[in-house]
Amino acid sequence: MGAGFLVGVIGVLILSHATYSTIQYRALLKITEEEFSGPPIDVVIELIVSLVLCLWAAMAAPGNFKSIHPQSEENRVVALPANLDFMIFNHRGKIFPLETELKLK
Amino acid sequence: MVTRTEEEEVNRLENQVENGGGGVWEYLCLVHKLKLRRSDMVLKHGLSILNDSKKRSALGPEEWTLYEQVAVAAMDCQSIDVAKDCIKVLQRKFPGSKRVGRLEAMLLEARGLWSEAENAFSSLLEENPFDQVVHKRRVAMAKAQGNTSAAIDWLNKYLDLFMADHEAWRELAEIYVSLQMYKQAAFCYEELILSQPTVPLYHLAYADVLYTLGGLENLQTAKKYYASTIALTGGKSTRALFGICLCTSAIGQLTKGRNKEDKESPELQSLSAMALEKDYKQRAPGKLSVLSSTLRSLKI
Repeated sequence: MGAGFLVGVIGVLILSHATYSTIQYRALLKITEEEFSGPPIDVVIELIVSLVLCLWAAMAAPGNFKSIHPQSEENRVVALPANLDFMIFNHRGKIFPLETELKLK
Repeated sequence: MVTRTEEEEVNRLENQVENGGGGVWEYLCLVHKLKLRRSDMVLKHGLSILNDSKKRSALGPEEWTLYEQVAVAAMDCQSIDVAKDCIKVLQRKFPGSKRVGRLEAMLLEARGLWSEAENAFSSLLEENPFDQVVHKRRVAMAKAQGNTSAAIDWLNKYLDLFMADHEAWRELAEIYVSLQMYKQAAFCYEELILSQPTVPLYHLAYADVLYTLGGLENLQTAKKYYASTIALTGGKSTRALFGICLCTSAIGQLTKGRNKEDKESPELQSLSAMALEKDYKQRAPGKLSVLSSTLRSLKI
């Protein structure tokens, strides 16, 4: 959040300003009775700037990127799961029984 | 696979649960997901949820998997009565279920009634000959009775049917290593590396087996696999670093006097020795002198 979010807000504001200018421009064309061939250059620039800003915000605001490398500190495998399907019960734990008062009520 | 982040999460939750800080259900879920064997904790804290009717009903349908989890944990802790009670509850809920039938047979196994358990598993297999868990239980039973050769036979038959089961390959590899049948174990580890190439522990185990087998070719392959372990762990595997040093010194002794043209990557050993020294300096400065004398005796 913070800076990224602010950039996103600015991007959306510029986008809405571009929309507003386009509507104004078309109203003006109706008065002067000219054909609509394309948006004016300042609107195009505004659109590009807002696209860049919104993209930036979408990358930065939701959270940090996580590593996908198998050798990175978070992802590296430190242990294999216990092979539970092959678990056997007559191990030395038998000699040290747990608390005997454990009961299912 | 248990990654570094997951391990930290488990340890944090375990601490929290032990000190009565809540999060018991999250802990049990994580243990179940990562397939850890913390039977004493699961038994103690799982029962605390099951005995509290409010917490139990809040779980919804997950309640029954918890009963199963606790039943298995109880068998592992030899709390036969608890396991029996859990299975009874499950039986009432799911009469005629095969999954509960499996638990019953496992209970017989935990009590040491081998022939009864064998009969129970056989009848389960007759109903469904492709029940993988039951096949695996038979292997485990043979192993529990100390009958390793029978366990190997069962496992080989099982792997003919289900070749993609990496857990079975791992079990077979471990049995072979325990019997010092390294050639067969190496084959199993090759299978494992093929099915899960990003797990460094299989590379490491394969390299260990090859190093134990000895011989120039095996040692060179072992060195390569130690190197791949280092690559996959980001250089954090002390065992692989030592493996590189040992392999280099063994290869050097074998090729002494011969022409040394085909020497590959001569800097590998000095780099791993340096990495070891750095690691020891950071984590165990007191043992640094032992390390350097060991490395010196390897002539690196």
